[in-house]
Amino acid sequence: MNVIECEKLTKKRRQLTALQDLSFSIEENTITGLIGRNGAGKTTLLKILAGFWRPSSGKVEVFKEDPFQNLFISANAIYVDDQMRYSSRLTLSEILTEAERFYENWDAELANRLFDYFSFHPRQAHHHLSKGKMSTFNMIIGLASRCALTMFDEPTTGMDAGVRKDFYRALLKDYIANPRTIIISSHHLEEIEDLLEDVLLLDEGKKYFHLPMDELKEYAVGISGRTEVVMQWMANKEVIHNEQVGNNATYAIVKNDYFSIDQAKQLGMEVSPVSASDLCVHLTSRSKGGIESVFK
Amino acid sequence: MIISSDSAKPIYVQIAEWIETEILNGNLKENDKVYSQYKLAEMFTINPATAAKGLNMLHEEKILYNKRGLGKFVTAEARMIITDKRKNRVLKGMLQEAALEAERLEVNEEELINMLHTIFKERKGDTK
Repeated sequence: MNVIECEKLTKKRRQLTALQDLSFSIEENTITGLIGRNGAGKTTLLKILAGFWRPSSGKVEVFKEDPFQNLFISANAIYVDDQMRYSSRLTLSEILTEAERFYENWDAELANRLFDYFSFHPRQAHHHLSKGKMSTFNMIIGLASRCALTMFDEPTTGMDAGVRKDFYRALLKDYIANPRTIIISSHHLEEIEDLLEDVLLLDEGKKYFHLPMDELKEYAVGISGRTEVVMQWMANKEVIHNEQVGNNATYAIVKNDYFSIDQAKQLGMEVSPVSASDLCVHLTSRSKGGIESVFK
Repeated sequence: MIISSDSAKPIYVQIAEWIETEILNGNLKENDKVYSQYKLAEMFTINPATAAKGLNMLHEEKILYNKRGLGKFVTAEARMIITDKRKNRVLKGMLQEAALEAERLEVNEEELINMLHTIFKERKGDTK
């Protein structure tokens, strides 16, 4: 069953097109990574799915319903980001109590265990928390709400490396115990890729691709060798990125087809894997030369 | 085992190879039940679907068999299949590397084979 279905979803804000003709669907009980550069439209998409914003045109359905200001969606989908605001009169433990009243599947035991593990104080105020602590607290709300659709928008902002690791582990363990549909947006694909089943890559408001993580890992390879050899070999290939390395060598990222890779090896070029995270950066980079082209 | 995201091998292949090694080591024997996709996911902090893909790969290669509702188990031929597969793949790969390096160094076929002969002779001498 598809939990989310979008068809030609478009969102315009003043002059700017934040999302353009976005069509995709997300299956129940999968973990999807929402990846893209700054301003690619990740937050806009998530806010539309959560029912905060209305699309300009196109179709969006969450649990077969229009999410915009929809109470059923509010109760069954949660959107977690670093802008979450609560009444400043509530203490942290009061926020947890209120959340328990709102979310039907709230897991109070998990919430309290995480609360203690991360050493929160029950009488602390949310707006006095540090950036990292605030993200950690919001993550607890996101996990404990156990919503059928759980969306994390850059959940690890400000968290230190240890807490990030704990968060990913907690997310996975709770997902295994209580499967649900999860979307995580992140700039750190390398940190979350092992958790993901699918990746949705956005580029300037458009879908670049929506692929299973395993396919993304085999999507492209890195080739390096003498410039003239590499250049000649690349002539009829789909080149994603290429740069000069040293005097007479070139490193290039090309779309993977197994036949030509063998050929490259035969020609004495070195073939190396390309991390999913590097690949996404190069795929959505504005110029093939990257930042280097600025300093020419 | 540590799962490496940087490896050229997809994670499901790394999972499958880890289970193969468990079988070769004797940690998993014929008709033993292997870890479920969820157990593997938890052990290595990976998506359960990825773990399932690794298990299915071994099932297709007849290293594991299914018992409906109970999970996957080690087949009688598992060890043999794994040994065969690794021989073909690993050994052949090494020889290909050697051939490539020989070309770079302008060592011809005959010379390379002679080198191999010498190595075998030396090893025989060692074991005597």
